[in-house]
Amino acid sequence: MAVEQPMRTSAAPQGDQTRIHDIGYRGYDGPRLGRSYARLSLYSQSLRGAYGLGRSLKSKVLPMLLFAVMCVPAAIMVAVAVATKAKDLPVDYTRYAIIMQAVISLYVASQAPQSVSRDLRFKTVPLYFSRPIRAADYVQAKFAALASALLVLTAAPLLVLYIGALLAKMDFTDQTKGFGQGLVSVVLLSLLFAGIGLVIASVTPRRGFGIAAVIAVLTISYGAVSTVQAIADAQGSTHTVPWFGLFSPVTLVDGVQSAFLGATSAFPGGAAAGPSHAQGAVYVLVVLGLVAACYGLLIRRYRKVGL
Amino acid sequence: MTTLQLDHVSRWFGNVVAVNDITMTVGPGVTGLLGPNGAGKSTLLNMMGGFLAPSTGTVTLDGKAVWRNEEIYRQIGVVPEREAMYDFLTGREFVVANAELHGLGPKAAARALATVEMEYAQDRKISTYSKGMRQRVKMASALVHDPSLLLLDEPFNGMDPRQRMQLMELLRRMGDEGRTVLFSSHILEEVEQLARHIEVIVAGRHAASGDFRRIRRLMTDRPHRYLVRSSDDRALAAALIADPSTSGIEVDHTEGALRVQAVDFARFTTLLPRVARDHGIRLLTVSPSDESLESVFSYLVAA
Amino acid sequence: MYDPTVARLTYRALLGRRRALILGALPLLLIVIAAVVRGLAGADDQTAADLLGGLGLATMVPIIGVIAGTGAIGPEIDDGSVVYLLSKPLKRPTIIFTKLIVAIAVTMVFSALPTLIAGLILNGNGQQVAVAYTVAALVASIAYAALFLLLGTVSRHAVVFGLVYALVWEALFGSLVPGARTLSVQQWSLAVAHKVSGDQTLITSDVGLTTATVLLVAVTVGATWYAGQKLRSLTLAGEE
Repeated sequence: MAVEQPMRTSAAPQGDQTRIHDIGYRGYDGPRLGRSYARLSLYSQSLRGAYGLGRSLKSKVLPMLLFAVMCVPAAIMVAVAVATKAKDLPVDYTRYAIIMQAVISLYVASQAPQSVSRDLRFKTVPLYFSRPIRAADYVQAKFAALASALLVLTAAPLLVLYIGALLAKMDFTDQTKGFGQGLVSVVLLSLLFAGIGLVIASVTPRRGFGIAAVIAVLTISYGAVSTVQAIADAQGSTHTVPWFGLFSPVTLVDGVQSAFLGATSAFPGGAAAGPSHAQGAVYVLVVLGLVAACYGLLIRRYRKVGL
Repeated sequence: MTTLQLDHVSRWFGNVVAVNDITMTVGPGVTGLLGPNGAGKSTLLNMMGGFLAPSTGTVTLDGKAVWRNEEIYRQIGVVPEREAMYDFLTGREFVVANAELHGLGPKAAARALATVEMEYAQDRKISTYSKGMRQRVKMASALVHDPSLLLLDEPFNGMDPRQRMQLMELLRRMGDEGRTVLFSSHILEEVEQLARHIEVIVAGRHAASGDFRRIRRLMTDRPHRYLVRSSDDRALAAALIADPSTSGIEVDHTEGALRVQAVDFARFTTLLPRVARDHGIRLLTVSPSDESLESVFSYLVAA
Repeated sequence: MYDPTVARLTYRALLGRRRALILGALPLLLIVIAAVVRGLAGADDQTAADLLGGLGLATMVPIIGVIAGTGAIGPEIDDGSVVYLLSKPLKRPTIIFTKLIVAIAVTMVFSALPTLIAGLILNGNGQQVAVAYTVAALVASIAYAALFLLLGTVSRHAVVFGLVYALVWEALFGSLVPGARTLSVQQWSLAVAHKVSGDQTLITSDVGLTTATVLLVAVTVGATWYAGQKLRSLTLAGEE
């Protein structure tokens, strides 16, 4: 009977009947692709997982549904514009994401915990870190993946609008400029939401808590800020409205795009309540600062994960 | 004298039958519930403890149903397998809370803690305890109301050898006092050392029950194996193989003994001394080599 | 019907450090916003009513109710430590009722008290607005705690469902679909607030006072009873 033992063994032979038989087991001598490949793989796996690809059927339902819900109104708008031969789209490229923020929030709330909570709950994070991957790589891969997923979610309807607008023979430069502005805005939005979502989700190993916490933070912050802004506007202190917009992710993006990207502000009080260029600069700083802070918090979080 | 009676109990989860028509009686003393992983031991214990309803059949304690009957817990102490407890409490607070829920006071809790020898750590939070310490606090919480039936789900999980000996001693004492103690395990040595009576569950079915040596006797389709050393092995071998009660003899040079397979146990036991005397061979060692629980168990599981 | 040990265990589990922080964050936010608005706009009855109603009663109270109601029993069932309560000669409805009392108390403290403080900051109880919303918060606390305790007993995803109810149903549908308003705890408690407030036009409800009271009592009693029955047949299925 063949004794199955690896070639490198230190078992001492016990008698002359003992033999170690070579049945062809070999170690792997081929090229090892290194850290960046591992990071890229984690990124692509997380990105695909955010849309349920590579996972069970049940986990595909919600992301795909939300994706459809995001794109369908854009398609309808395009159809209407083509049919009525309108000169302009009913909704600005930059305004679309603000209108659909509930869908975006729901998406982040459901996919951020899916991305990081399972690893925490089943304690597989140490398995990642016992490979060439470092904590920074893990965080970068997950952050980039969720931000990319959000970008797909928010940019796809913009693409639909753009193509539709071109098909409806609207002004090319106008539409391209609007599309470009919209893209920049959703890039910022994706980074910000992904960061916030991941930070909150990585705090708890329980997925349900993570989902609830992300929804709560995003919704409540927006609700509180817009309530206060409405009151301020109604009371005639419209100049204070932009300052309040700094306290919620959606209003932050809204502020940036109305200061620099040619959007009309969605704050109560209309265009007059939009931030000036100086205030807009503060907005940009806060957005970038928040993204950096989220990244830093995540790195700190994953330094502390142990067996 | 508390007797737990299971009568044609089955439990299925959708298409999966976890427990399949089990009838058993658990009486005073220590009983071991033995079975491979996934055999249905936990399901059975949960049904005995009133935490799961049988799909068919009844589970009764001294004639009273266990399911949906809160009063029965005066007589039952449960040591669950799961580690989760109220981690923010200290050991003493936890046992005292359990005592109060039974209507008893801190004295009962102190007694229980002394029984499991956890007094030295009773004022530390449970979240700082090791696994063995948690098990002992769980035991204390189960003993605090002096129950006549103790159900333990894999109680030796994660215990170091000394703690295991202590717990075995405790359970043996409980059994000797006349309590009914039922514990589940898939580690044969533990069951062998502790339980007088075992119940073997394999794939949801009740495979065997009773003293494991007697179970072995009942397995007549497998030959019994013996290790025999004598003053003249070859001659003994020749004489034994002539008789139809043996089915195989192996001369083992390294051991310097004979390995005998006997198909007819009763006949072989009278044959061996007679043959030895007739041929003038002195018997030095006669020991059964497969009467351990391990072989019994592997035969049962493989069946 | 009430067991002090169960209450003590529930209370300590509920106000563990992390959950206490989360519970405290939202009321703190409300008070801060109230202070800001007062600084901006001065004392105004309508503003006070809007803020207390929109941010307080519609958002804060249900969320506190979710956290306290589900937190009183959900985590214990989830990690299995509820077995220590179930394996005692204690009637299951007693366990539920005791947990309900604790959940109600916690919800009241963390929602009604801040509502009162915020209201006083906003307009110093002009037109009884602050008191009216505090009463509404008290009443809503009872119903929410009962509802979410039931949810925590029957569902493993109670927190998610509860939040969806609080944020989507109460806040969104409640304002869009008129029929939904009759089925909203918020509207029932607003009916009570309407009775208490001095100026009857400030706080309105789509539900009459009698209907509201009946529904509040019915929901509370019904949810508690059903949770008690569910706990009697609670199944602990071994490892996950």
